[in-house]
Amino acid sequence: MANLLCYSRNRATSVEQIDETTLASTCRLQDSLNDAEVTLCIRLPELEIIDAKGTFTRFSRNSCRGIENALKKVVGVRIGAGMKKIIRGLVGEVTDCSEIAVLVEECCHTVILAFTKDMLTLVPEELALEKDFFTKMVQENIRLYNSCAAFAPGSPIVEGIDPP
Amino acid sequence: MLKFQRTKLVNIIHNNDGSIAVHGALDDHIYQIDIDLTIGIDDLTIRAIDGKWLRAENSECRRAIPFLQNAVGIRIDENGFPQYVNKHVGRKSCPHFANLIIECCDAAEDAVDMIRFEAAKADQPELTFEEYLAGNISAATKDKPEIRVSAQPEKRVKITTEEKQIISGANGFCVDLHIHTFPASQCSSSSADDMLQEAKRIGLDAVCITDHNYVWETADIEALSEKHDIPVFKGNEITTDQGDILVFGMHEDVQGIIKLEELKRLVDETNGFMIAAHPFRGFLIFNTNEIGLTVEKAMQRPALKQVHALEVLNGKVTERENVFAGKVATGLDMPATGGSDAHDILGVGKYATSFEAPIANERELVEALKSGSYAPCNYREIATKALRHEE
Repeated sequence: MANLLCYSRNRATSVEQIDETTLASTCRLQDSLNDAEVTLCIRLPELEIIDAKGTFTRFSRNSCRGIENALKKVVGVRIGAGMKKIIRGLVGEVTDCSEIAVLVEECCHTVILAFTKDMLTLVPEELALEKDFFTKMVQENIRLYNSCAAFAPGSPIVEGIDPP
Repeated sequence: MLKFQRTKLVNIIHNNDGSIAVHGALDDHIYQIDIDLTIGIDDLTIRAIDGKWLRAENSECRRAIPFLQNAVGIRIDENGFPQYVNKHVGRKSCPHFANLIIECCDAAEDAVDMIRFEAAKADQPELTFEEYLAGNISAATKDKPEIRVSAQPEKRVKITTEEKQIISGANGFCVDLHIHTFPASQCSSSSADDMLQEAKRIGLDAVCITDHNYVWETADIEALSEKHDIPVFKGNEITTDQGDILVFGMHEDVQGIIKLEELKRLVDETNGFMIAAHPFRGFLIFNTNEIGLTVEKAMQRPALKQVHALEVLNGKVTERENVFAGKVATGLDMPATGGSDAHDILGVGKYATSFEAPIANERELVEALKSGSYAPCNYREIATKALRHEE
């Protein structure tokens, strides 16, 4: 039996530093049904979306045909906690094409990961020191406590930390 | 220069046993993970899942693997599926595995649509995929079961009036201005009854119920107040394009995302009051100051000119974020409030706002807020210390 794929999807998102105060985040989606791309321009340090452009060149739902109006709605939104609800709400006002909001969210999420990576460059190589690094991180931001298996009770990282 | 890149790949095979095999791979500057899912075509239920780390953030991330099984048995087309996965896989296992599962299951829904379309086309050769989807969507969205998880309240020790009197530092009339109740706020896990019982137990003077974009009936609020023998005021936490705003004295049922300017207009019409909730809630791994946000720059944020006060003690953000909000409020000479943002009974009263005089009703609350004569306070810590001292 050939085991051929009946469906495939590739979603690639990148963040580029344009200048000291500007980032561009682009999400490209190619799957069996859709081919789309969204680029957000983001101003630092507020992480405010100052421009949004994109296009669907192939789609399964006609509602995804023109996305410019939907993308305009997210201009002015700041990347941060609670952004998913805001993006879905604003985009949902003008289109039923839910994939647009997903593309915007992926762009925003990847910006957050880009800054997360900057912090993780500070993690020491040695295992014991690595543990201390993350323990301090949880102590300084207690929201991390129990936010995933690595920071859950039973993990050495949170040993001795009082639950919030 | 490229700062970060993430690629997610999903490949799907149609098995001959009525299922699909879904392989997902996530690869970025920090993480590299693989998952394999088996999903039933008829019931769209996850039958099996396996995953592995290839690169991770830290050496304890391996603990995430067993919890992937929390996704087994879940229907991928149920309302609330992504929220369920984020809560029960994301928080128990790893948010990046949850992200990849959601991507895989979204692709799986498309793949099943394509498989079903091919079957339907055998009977109706003229059927287009768009026509098929239109019919399929309306049928599939009917009577979708909701996934719900709720917590059981614990039996707890009650603070007496005498104990309340020794709670120093929380002088005045202490009101938790920010709590969420289930089911009005789907993200809360405690009912209004449980929350108010707890508020009464720890000796709060009053509570504002501020469910997300939800307007309580005045009669229901009064009934709760009477039942639990504690003043209860109605508020609303409204999501705007510029973040969440606590609103008092305005009872418009705002749905969807409203522009902050529009909300300000509605609140001004009713002589109400607006507080920017958790105005500088940040990120898990890095802080906003690490990307260059200073107090001076934050003070220039246009949204802050639209509100009457800032919530500078919020129970769901870090101490650093609360301190930052406090500095911005001081810099702008704006009134500052405190509220727990409790989503379960354990959070009630973590922070509160201490007013100079008792408040009897919602209108008095709005007047008191407008007076500016109040201060945020670390209520629960003080109350807990008082209890320990008594023991």
